[in-house]
Amino acid sequence: MLNHHRLGQLTELLKEHSWDILVLYGHTWRKDFFRCLINANFSGPHAAAVLDRSGQIRVLVADPWDAELLSAAGLAASAYADLAADLGHLVSGKVAVAGLEFMERQFIPEGIAAPESATGAVEELRRVKTPEEIACIRQAAELADCGYRHFAETAERGMAEYELVAEVEAFLKARGAEDNFQLIASGGTEVTGMKPPTGRKFRDGDSITTELTPRVNGYWAQICRTLVMGEPSAAQRESFAIFAEARKAAEDFLRPGVNIADVARVQNDVFRKHGYGEYTGPQYTRVRGHGLGLHCDENPWILEDVNYTVKEGMVLIAHPNTYLPLAGYMVFGDSLLVTANGCAPLNHTERKLFQK
Amino acid sequence: MKRGWITWDESELPRAAFEKRLNALARHLAERDLPAVAIYTDVWRSNRVRYFSNFMPYWNRALLVVPRAGGGAGQPVLLCALSPRVYPWIRAVTVLEDIRSSPNLAKAIEQLAAERGWKGIGVLDLPRLPSDIQFSGGLEITDVSFPHIADEWELAMYRKAAQMARQGLSEELPQAIGRRDHELTARLEKRFRRAGAEDLVILLTNGRAVPAPPRGEILDKDFSVSLALEYRGHWVKIARSASARDPFPFRIHVENLSGPYPYEPATRLESPAIMSLRFESQAAGLRLFHGDTYYSSDQGLELL
Repeated sequence: MLNHHRLGQLTELLKEHSWDILVLYGHTWRKDFFRCLINANFSGPHAAAVLDRSGQIRVLVADPWDAELLSAAGLAASAYADLAADLGHLVSGKVAVAGLEFMERQFIPEGIAAPESATGAVEELRRVKTPEEIACIRQAAELADCGYRHFAETAERGMAEYELVAEVEAFLKARGAEDNFQLIASGGTEVTGMKPPTGRKFRDGDSITTELTPRVNGYWAQICRTLVMGEPSAAQRESFAIFAEARKAAEDFLRPGVNIADVARVQNDVFRKHGYGEYTGPQYTRVRGHGLGLHCDENPWILEDVNYTVKEGMVLIAHPNTYLPLAGYMVFGDSLLVTANGCAPLNHTERKLFQK
Repeated sequence: MKRGWITWDESELPRAAFEKRLNALARHLAERDLPAVAIYTDVWRSNRVRYFSNFMPYWNRALLVVPRAGGGAGQPVLLCALSPRVYPWIRAVTVLEDIRSSPNLAKAIEQLAAERGWKGIGVLDLPRLPSDIQFSGGLEITDVSFPHIADEWELAMYRKAAQMARQGLSEELPQAIGRRDHELTARLEKRFRRAGAEDLVILLTNGRAVPAPPRGEILDKDFSVSLALEYRGHWVKIARSASARDPFPFRIHVENLSGPYPYEPATRLESPAIMSLRFESQAAGLRLFHGDTYYSSDQGLELL
């Protein structure tokens, strides 16, 4: 439950920044800063780990059940009635908070100097994964592969999007997924992006896109694939070939030392080469990939205006997902581990346009 | 995390319900002499904005701005960090028409205020706003609290969600003894999501500790399950034990289900509010858990 590697790094961070106390705050949507030190899937809605320079940790949680489970694991944990008051008793001196930005204003204790944000510094530590973290992400990626196989096998004409998502969710939970973030879309050129499932029923000729992101022991891995219901049209094949070329360009390029902006650029250049450069902007797409770990959408985002030097041990997904007028919104991408000389895919699902 | 079917069925929740709620809020603003109120929402904090608009973000965050106009509410505005590509979907599942792309929520609200000539604005539950939403100082910000008013539509939705959860558990629990906790979790996920639930949180125990996320244990005959279920944005919490033992209740935990979060521990019964009561019992040295969702009002507690 306690990430000893991170504990060492975080206590060093305290000294480096002359902080007396580091609070790792999490709420039910963003558990990641708390879990990077105390990897417990708390019920919530709030949890805070208070770390001092000596490495001593005290944990405050909203739910008494969480407090009991954490105490049973040997941690100094208690349920709070008033988080600001309890934090106020535990913190003094120069205080920094990782996750400060999404912490409720009322949780910031009175009577201390305004805390500094440790969010960026802790995010930077988290970008390079430990061997244990990579093992968890590998498990999640394997589950994503199995989950996509189930998705493709289960999808059928007349089935509603939400029914398929229910089947996949159950499949993943039966195999130990803690959670799964999934978006989906179905249809043709009218589809401009993915969203939660609707009641729309699958029809012949549909492109069915999904971004499937199971979480294992706190860590997320993602796979993006497109399935055509029936024989793909010439336009669907032509479109997919562009996505396949863009995905390959990213994976061929990604290695330690490159600028993340260029990982976006090499993908976008493929679309430009084919005359679809305008579809690489925010009107049609969000990002060309992102980090993975304790949050399913970690920094750095893969965008041409984000500068960051890639490091060995990072886990990213490069996905050229966007809208093209050829066949509507399409997705394609795998979770990638940055190795010493390049990158290695963590997913092993066939890299093709699926059809049913 | 929501990845179920977010929809709006006007036969169970008519547009008139939202109009009535928005107008009640506007009257409250008139009493405070405020031109508008902003309400925060994100993936896990959608209760308040859902109540006024049926908007529930599956990702990212937003502010719903409800202006006062004439004797009631004006057209609400959604300041939204989600991509404009999903605004047609938002319009299809909410009462909202005016949706504005707003990566910086504080700046967006200041721009809207300038556009409308507002010198100040109310923010619902201001102390609970995420700390990165900082206003520049040019706009007067007033903390507004507004009680959760569980009208008949709201109560009907909660009753439906609670009934769905209770019935599902009563049918699934007896079959789960001897199976792995992951398997029961999967059966509940499939059953409830196919019935339209957006999200579930399932905790289980064999009676030697409090309920916790599934970890691959075989469920024995005295196991308990705590189920939090979201149906059309309405969260209920139900706990049941498969045990046939005669339990002796000794501890109660109370949670508020109608605050900003789906559920949040409370120190007392609040009113009016949707509350969950979690009862812990002991039998033969085992800990058994039972719980339900109630409407707490000045009339007392009503099982939903």
